[in-house]
Amino acid sequence: MHILEVENLKTYFFTEAGIVKALDGATFNLEKGTTLGLVGESGSGKSVTSQSVLRIVPKPGKIVSGKILFEGEDILAKSENEMRNYRGKKISLIFQDPTSSLNPLFTIGSQLTEIVTQHEKMKKTEALEHVIKTLKLARLPDPEEEIYRYPHQFSGGMKQRICIARALLLNPQLLFADEPTTNLDVTIQAQILTLLKDLQREVGMTLVMITHDMGIVADMCKYVVVLYGGNVMETGMIETIFEKPHPYTEALLKAVPRLDQTKELVSIPGNIPNLIELPSGCVFHPRCRYAVDACKGNKPPLEEVEADHSIACIRWRELNGGR
Amino acid sequence: MGLAKYVARRLIYMIPLILGISLVSFLVMYSAGDPITIATMGNPMITETEKQFLRHYYGLDLPIPVQYFRWLTNFLTGNFGNSIYGNKPVNQLIASLSWETVKLQLVSIIISFLIAIPAGIYAAVKQRSATDYTVSSISIMGISLPVFFTAVVFILVFSYDLGWFPSAGAHGAPTLWPVFGIRNPILDEIAHLVLPALVLTLASVAYNVRLLRAGMLEVLRQDYIMAAKASGIQERTILYKYALKNAITPLLTLLGLSIGGAIGGAPMTETVFSWPGLGYQFVLAAGRLDFPVVMGITMLITIFILLANLITDLAYAWVDPRVTIE
Amino acid sequence: MSSSSKNDVSKRRGAGQWAVAWRRFKKHKSGLFGLGMIIVLLFVAAFHNYIAPYPAGSLAPLYQGDAGQPPSLKYLFGTSVGGSDVYSEVLHGAIYTVYVAFSGTIITMVICIAVGIVAGYMGKYIDEVLMRITEIFLVFPSLMLILVFARIFQLRNSNPYWNLLGIQIPIGLTMVILIVSVFAWSPYARVIRGEVLRLKEAEFIQASKGIGANSRWIMIRHILPNVLPQIVVLATLTMAGIVLTEAGVSFLGFGDPNTITWGRLMEESFPFMSTAWWAEVFPGLAVFLTILAFNLLGDGLSDALNPRLRE
Repeated sequence: MHILEVENLKTYFFTEAGIVKALDGATFNLEKGTTLGLVGESGSGKSVTSQSVLRIVPKPGKIVSGKILFEGEDILAKSENEMRNYRGKKISLIFQDPTSSLNPLFTIGSQLTEIVTQHEKMKKTEALEHVIKTLKLARLPDPEEEIYRYPHQFSGGMKQRICIARALLLNPQLLFADEPTTNLDVTIQAQILTLLKDLQREVGMTLVMITHDMGIVADMCKYVVVLYGGNVMETGMIETIFEKPHPYTEALLKAVPRLDQTKELVSIPGNIPNLIELPSGCVFHPRCRYAVDACKGNKPPLEEVEADHSIACIRWRELNGGR
Repeated sequence: MGLAKYVARRLIYMIPLILGISLVSFLVMYSAGDPITIATMGNPMITETEKQFLRHYYGLDLPIPVQYFRWLTNFLTGNFGNSIYGNKPVNQLIASLSWETVKLQLVSIIISFLIAIPAGIYAAVKQRSATDYTVSSISIMGISLPVFFTAVVFILVFSYDLGWFPSAGAHGAPTLWPVFGIRNPILDEIAHLVLPALVLTLASVAYNVRLLRAGMLEVLRQDYIMAAKASGIQERTILYKYALKNAITPLLTLLGLSIGGAIGGAPMTETVFSWPGLGYQFVLAAGRLDFPVVMGITMLITIFILLANLITDLAYAWVDPRVTIE
Repeated sequence: MSSSSKNDVSKRRGAGQWAVAWRRFKKHKSGLFGLGMIIVLLFVAAFHNYIAPYPAGSLAPLYQGDAGQPPSLKYLFGTSVGGSDVYSEVLHGAIYTVYVAFSGTIITMVICIAVGIVAGYMGKYIDEVLMRITEIFLVFPSLMLILVFARIFQLRNSNPYWNLLGIQIPIGLTMVILIVSVFAWSPYARVIRGEVLRLKEAEFIQASKGIGANSRWIMIRHILPNVLPQIVVLATLTMAGIVLTEAGVSFLGFGDPNTITWGRLMEESFPFMSTAWWAEVFPGLAVFLTILAFNLLGDGLSDALNPRLRE
């Protein structure tokens, strides 16, 4: 069963310089109870996807069209008030930078308790107990003491644990983790990833790892959605994707250093596309080594090419020997 | 470090600053001109002997270092000397005038913040909306309006033309105006207060709105605001609890400064309205080079500003846990 | 934020930055409006003798029996109770406003740039000493001292003009400008110092230090051009502030008795306000519009030069 279905989602930012098409028709589905990797370079629309699902796209951004179904319900049709019951309670978000995502002027206890009391009819003391319990779940040592401290008194890793606890407070079914380890030390990164993996299993929620790191994807995810220039390039089971990737995914994979291989690293030529003036046809064609003239024509649709594997590329079949 | 120790140390640090400011002001004033000559300029009958007597009486014939030392020892014992005009003790003069000044300032500071906080927040939240443009354009006009010009226009319109409020003084109605025609002393005081308070409020509200709007815009961009939203926190809580507390800190400094400076009154506004406060008195004293009064008010303002700075820093540390009092 | 602002610093170099800023400024309607108003002010200041119907200080309306007349086609802004044409006097006053705005700003900027850059760049005890001095100026109840100073100069000054290469420069007004400027620089020096401290850590500054450039060279060649955007904005705001303070000082009767500035016009008409409001309001309007123009320009420049503050 699909917990989340996103169809032809367009989220644009109306800036003075022009319309930035952060998401330009993204389509993907999300199986319940698994871990999905949402992969792409910066500017590919990864973060905007999670913001769109929660309907918290910052100004001057706006969801222009498309469909977002959460457990079959149309999110975009909900009122702002109804939406509050989704945010934090059914769908949660962990931010990239734990330092900037915690309010510096309030104790962590007060910030987390507020979330509980605003959603559940709980007394303050009960709510506080629940907060402490959740902080324990996120492996924060001594939460009974630590709730009276302010964010700046914690290390980056501890702050990310607090943020994870904040996201888990109300037992959400779906959790977006937006590059949760990018701003942390390497040793802490591994701890946080293990924690997320464990929590996903313990709580049984659906986890979306938003990342640019193919290594993390390979380690944690069952399904992958590859985004480029606001478009979904490829979705599928991790094994199929590694086996017969989209040209863009292939380029991404070649750019990841691996210990078990001695192949040379190949960086992707060119830059991420200008989101105001997207290239015609396939958005990746200017950087694609397999591009032909036809790629500049129409935008290739996302087609299911094999079981659990969809691709938006007109040349994929011939490149992979066809079927 | 303990709070008491910190406050004590800050107070000690103020002493050289106060001494320095008093010395500079004193040297400038007393080396510049002879106040007796100026004070007696309008009096052609006065003789040189009488002038000499006056100089001696006020100690103006002593060498400047001696004069400063005398002034300082008197100042430390709370004696600010006597006014050259009317020979009244300066501290009595200040005491009798400060209530009117404090009354006027307090009213305008309170109204100004009460207007500025919702207006600044609203303009920031609805950035680029019609309301935002209106608030922003009014506030840039507000900061460009010289207080004396606003005061003049208000007097012309509300006093001379419409006859609603008196144009001068703080109480006692030489003329009767139809709206507050009743001889009620409280209504009379309020009627006198309206125009000068309005002028002062207009001047400060525009600054406060601009500052708060800019601060809110900066804060609303922060991740923790989006995080609070993503956790399903109510809009009202986000704005008035989470965002406002972060945006209000620069305003706190401004509040501290305006309260510190308030004791000096608003010389321009008070002069236009002949308001019997310290600001008007200062302008008069400066014009007559009545040095004891000028020195007295200058020192009073300096001390108040320094104290207000200290209180602002303490308030900062109280609002923002990242700030430690060192 | 901190890592991206570091990138900004290195990108900011070069002439392209100003072209980009100008392109952005051109879209800023209120900023352009402010600039237009300032151009009008400069035009009036330059040609006031040709535009004004009456020469400065002329009492011609009085001799025609037209003293204290309300605005009409003949006297656009009316005539004062003393019998001068308010319109002409306001036009003649423009030159003093321009003089106040520009010379005052130059003095203020020179002081605050010197203090800000030296304190920020040299650091250590030099920074300590300069910042203590700045602090004294910040705390000083400046209007109080400005008034006393101005009064003293008013009384002492015997020679009304300096003759500099055939241009009559009013001494009293110059003194007022000097006094006002001396008390205006302190908050800006702090801003510039802060900016310099941020720049000091930038790679290109570290690089020129690494190749052995001396401090003065780095300050003038590298730091100054990079704080220039901030300085341009601060200068515009200073112009507004100085015009305001000078008008206030004159309005209170502490100005140069030999120059008829707008503040002075207001001071003279104030006692007759109930009978001849026009003689009070039009000079006041001129002060207001001038300050508004500089503030609008300042806002526009600030948006154009510091894009970080925008989206």
